[in-house]
Amino acid sequence: MAIDGLIILDPAGRPIIQSSYSCYPTAYPMLHIEALNNALEKALRGGSVDPVIYVAEFSCSSACCHVEVGGMRFLATISGDADPLIAFAFLDTFIEILHDYFGTVSLATLKDNFDIVYQLLEETLDSSGHPLTTSQNALSDIVLPPTLISKLLASVSPSAPGVPSGRQGGSFGLTGASGAFASPIPWRKAGVRHNHNEILFDVVEDMRAIVGKNGMTLVSNVFGKIESNSKLSGTPDLTLTFTNPSVMTDCAFHPCVRLQRWTRDNSLSFVPPEGRFILADYQYKPPQGAVISNVPIPLSLKANVDMGEFGGTFTLTLTSRSMKVMENVELELYLGEDAISAQCTLSSAGSGVGSVGSADGSWTFDSRKKMLRWEILNMRSSGSWILRGSWTSKIKAPRPAHAFQIRFEIPSFSFSSLKVDQLRLSGETYKMYKGVRMRSKGSLEWRW
Amino acid sequence: MDGINLNALSENASRLGMRIQETIAEHTRDLTLIRGGGSLFDMADDKAKNITKQLESSSDREKLDAMKRLIALISKNRPVSSYFPAVVKNVASTNLELRKLVYIYLLRCAPSEPDLALLSINTFQRDLADPSPLIRAMALRVLSGIRVPTVAAIVLMAVRKSAADPSPYVRKAASLAVMKVYRLDQAHYAALVDILVTLLRDRSSLSLGTAVLALDNVAPSRLDLLHVHFRRLCRVLPDIDAWGQVDVLRVLVRYARTMLPKPVPESERQGDEEDKDLKLLLVCAEPLFMSKNPAVVLAVARAFYYLAPPSMLSKIAAPLLRLLNVSREIERVALAYLLVVARSHPTLFVNSHTRLLVRTDDAEQVKRNKICILLALCTVDNHQALLREFVDYAQDTDDSVVGDAIDAIGRIARLVPPSTPQCLTALMGMINSKQDIIVSNAVLVLKSLVQNQLLTPSSASTTTLAPSFSSQLTSSVPSLISTTSIPLSAPPQMSSAPPSTTTAQAPLSIIAQLARRIDDIRHPHARACVLWLVGQYGTVTGAGTMVDGVADWAPDVLRKAARSFKIEVCFFNLPHHPPAHANSYQAPLVKLQTLTLAAKLTLLAPVNRTFILLARYVLTLARYDEDWDVRDRGRMLASLLVGAVAGVVSSDGEEGTGDRWSNEEQGGRPSGVVLRREQVMRVLFEGKTGTIEEEAVADSRPLGTLALVMERDSPYLHEHDDEDTPVDLPEWLEQGIDPALRDSDDDTPQAVSSTPVVQAISSQGIPSQHAVSSASVTPIVLTPTGGSTPKDTKDWRDLDKFYASESESEEGEEEEEEEEEEAEEESEASGNDEDSGEDDENSEDEEEEVGKYDSDPSHDRTQ
Repeated sequence: MAIDGLIILDPAGRPIIQSSYSCYPTAYPMLHIEALNNALEKALRGGSVDPVIYVAEFSCSSACCHVEVGGMRFLATISGDADPLIAFAFLDTFIEILHDYFGTVSLATLKDNFDIVYQLLEETLDSSGHPLTTSQNALSDIVLPPTLISKLLASVSPSAPGVPSGRQGGSFGLTGASGAFASPIPWRKAGVRHNHNEILFDVVEDMRAIVGKNGMTLVSNVFGKIESNSKLSGTPDLTLTFTNPSVMTDCAFHPCVRLQRWTRDNSLSFVPPEGRFILADYQYKPPQGAVISNVPIPLSLKANVDMGEFGGTFTLTLTSRSMKVMENVELELYLGEDAISAQCTLSSAGSGVGSVGSADGSWTFDSRKKMLRWEILNMRSSGSWILRGSWTSKIKAPRPAHAFQIRFEIPSFSFSSLKVDQLRLSGETYKMYKGVRMRSKGSLEWRW
Repeated sequence: MDGINLNALSENASRLGMRIQETIAEHTRDLTLIRGGGSLFDMADDKAKNITKQLESSSDREKLDAMKRLIALISKNRPVSSYFPAVVKNVASTNLELRKLVYIYLLRCAPSEPDLALLSINTFQRDLADPSPLIRAMALRVLSGIRVPTVAAIVLMAVRKSAADPSPYVRKAASLAVMKVYRLDQAHYAALVDILVTLLRDRSSLSLGTAVLALDNVAPSRLDLLHVHFRRLCRVLPDIDAWGQVDVLRVLVRYARTMLPKPVPESERQGDEEDKDLKLLLVCAEPLFMSKNPAVVLAVARAFYYLAPPSMLSKIAAPLLRLLNVSREIERVALAYLLVVARSHPTLFVNSHTRLLVRTDDAEQVKRNKICILLALCTVDNHQALLREFVDYAQDTDDSVVGDAIDAIGRIARLVPPSTPQCLTALMGMINSKQDIIVSNAVLVLKSLVQNQLLTPSSASTTTLAPSFSSQLTSSVPSLISTTSIPLSAPPQMSSAPPSTTTAQAPLSIIAQLARRIDDIRHPHARACVLWLVGQYGTVTGAGTMVDGVADWAPDVLRKAARSFKIEVCFFNLPHHPPAHANSYQAPLVKLQTLTLAAKLTLLAPVNRTFILLARYVLTLARYDEDWDVRDRGRMLASLLVGAVAGVVSSDGEEGTGDRWSNEEQGGRPSGVVLRREQVMRVLFEGKTGTIEEEAVADSRPLGTLALVMERDSPYLHEHDDEDTPVDLPEWLEQGIDPALRDSDDDTPQAVSSTPVVQAISSQGIPSQHAVSSASVTPIVLTPTGGSTPKDTKDWRDLDKFYASESESEEGEEEEEEEEEEAEEESEASGNDEDSGEDDENSEDEEEEVGKYDSDPSHDRTQ
């Protein structure tokens, strides 16, 4: 047994697209949808939804694995002894494919292109429950992306008389189809031509850290990924080398990367697929070599929280320790199920000259999620921001979460200072444009 | 509309040439109309009438529009089978776009409308010869989807034809169709296996994965068909697509378990090499740890977990931990698997326990799993840090997480006995919390800790009378201050302090403190625990207390409990109590313990009039209680005490009519058994062993199953006992089958001709692929005759080195030796751990308690 099928629910919990459940009782998909909707409804009252929900209505045990994207729920149903991990891996791949086809995945785009979604569904998931073709390059040969061209063809080809190939109508379609799987490399289309050849790399590093009550860093790790966008003609064979590959550890690669080569000399040798793809994932290994070497955290928080009866007060001081400007700094605190309201004042204690009163921060209290949120759009180096406030609660002993969630972004910065040495092209003769960008973000848990 | 943009979009655009560009302007208006997918999707049902007319029109555009409307109807679950005849006519259309939509319709409707599909079966058969592989595959998929047993023979012919198709894509569809035909009609088993044999010989890595999958589905017991393909499958593993890798690895694990010899532990090995085929499988699978697909990473980890020798197991730790960062959903599933691995091999993750710390924004299930894993990783070295973590988690906003965290503190005390004082201090701190849930959980854990502690110092205590505990009590109350003031971060006083002095006194002081806070402890279960503790351990030898033989803090507890006896039910319906804990049916638990407490105290001080009055009061209330158990308990205790304590069950009619019953019984049967005080003491106080915690047993459910993630029994463990469906993870065979069976024609030529093959590929401008190169780089192995590879010596006993030496042809001897030593140390260390674990279990078993009918509250819960 494998993946029984895939269902897409709109934000109201109604199915908009679902794969064929012809081998199953008609109630089968409905029961899963119902189980999910019930669980979601319950979760509104507090607590979180388990991503795997057991559905025991049938003699054979089954479960529904669900992921939220753009307000919609994508759910894959599995039964028997299937591995939920495969279901999630498939869901992620499918969503990735939709992103690739439509740019954004939203209710509107799916409704606009539902025929393409159905085609993709049939091509990626066989009725036996096994994934078929999930490589985006191979898929785009079979299912045409909704670009201008395909729209054009839909209107032109039946009526246009003088299309180059001799056959009337559909000539493009047939060439397209015979082109399917013509490529000897599964992840790359054959015969790509570009006037302007370029490949761009985005190195995105994500810090995940926990700071204890005493302000000591309990754990901080940085996970990076190299996103690429390739527009290269022919069959380019690339070799990417780094000046400091030793900062990368525990890597994972796109199937195009020759693993042997990486193990041997830490260079990435690959024939890229067309378009966007993630070349590699890695974890940043700080060079000191210590077993538990934490990456320094680029900001610090001083929190004074006094819990009283029916509420409490707090004073939070957020200080930047980064040399770079941090953007979209966001601090969140869950105030507990019984929280009613919150009231805060903002101020910024300046670094240096008279920076008091710069109102580039804002706070909100989400009374549905009981979440206090403090946002600072732009946080210059070594500045301090203060949030004072209080909240009220229905119960005598309030029960807020004992940790702040802090998120931040630092443009053109990387924790690992990973540096690309060079990118060599072989197999093709043209000159290509190359580009590398760095970006960092983080998500911290700061306990109090 | 500039030319650059067009060119960038598709190579095919250039074929349309300038001419189309001229017409763009005219058609853009049409485009918006046609591509208004949203309006099609939300179209009103009455427009559906036109569909048939549109399908029969001559214009492809009209037909396309109609097909889209149809598919929109499908997704709204409207009946669409009435359009079947009109749709099938278009199956031979020249417009590929249209044909694809037609086939999507057919894939949907053919299974539910087999009769209609049968009528057009010729069309599908014709399409099997279509020039486009896409159409051929679609036709085959539609054919195999028609679930009418009578057509199975026709479908079988189609499958056989497609199995020899030049396009691997069609062959892939053929493999999947094999599975469907088998499900349709099992009579074709033999023919299907024949087709599978052909498919398994496939040279293309694209279709090989599904061929293996089909074999696994159709003929799971025919693993012997894989003999000749085993080595090739291993080698091409990196080239198969990700989903195929998952399936192939799963089958290969099963193959290895059934066909290869069981690996001998390195210590016991006598000269002979580790099995080469197993080595080949692991070596080829290892690079897949670097796959981006989490399912593949798990499949490789699973292969290593079930196949690899202990020295190679360490390789699975980092990749498994990496899965935790992929997404929240995958983290949830991966943690369930990680827990199983961590319980059986904690050493793999001990150094990376910080990766598993709980975050407050984790989902509940994730938090609870993380706590379980952290607990499995607890050692003498890291227990301080873990204890601090668990204390933090006790403030979580989720009740079940709080319970797990506090429970974990108790477990730490048990796992690392020297840490007990710190754990107790932490728990005592929680008693003062304002959150009821923290208090009650802490009390429960304290109770079992205290109880176990009081039992362990002297094993003789189980045979002596209860008051013998009091010999350990020298100055209980003053010690309270010293114990509770130990800060958590205090230097470990573990090995230095003799356990008899520190740990034996602390528990009684804890009970004393609990006794003082009885008013604040409102959770019925926790309250019952405190009452039981006070009764069981509230004994003192010698004078010096207000009531001889009874600790100073005990009497007041009885007084308070007696006073609240009547209102024990409504006590818990306080407005802010979580409803789950305010159930009135739990209150009898407290009443039962109040009765026991009263009986015990009167027994200890039989002459104290206050006790006797309190006991009499409580027993009287119990007699008229609405709860059956409470009445029973009261009656039983009363008759026990009759002979031991004068006046509890008075015969002078002081308590009115109710006493007539006991009078009658006493008077009516003077020869009835009346126990002396010592005997009653024995009955009430003896046989209280520590609570037995259910130990985490090694999980029998294999990794990578729904049953494991949902913590349920595997549905297939018992249902399918017939021999045809072998278990997914069989036991090793002691002796493998003859490796010569795995020799195939492939091996010799491939090893020799691998270099020309690579050249051939690269001359076409296609890069060599990793598997081929791996085969070519490795000059070794696997030829049946040649056990004589250049380095085929004992140096390669260790697989690590084997692998290292494969990539780096020459390495320093010293380094290799070091590695070997390290590996040996590792395996030794893990071996020791396992031993000690077993010892613990045994000792736990010995503590298995005898019978106890009264008091232990933690067991009342189950009744």
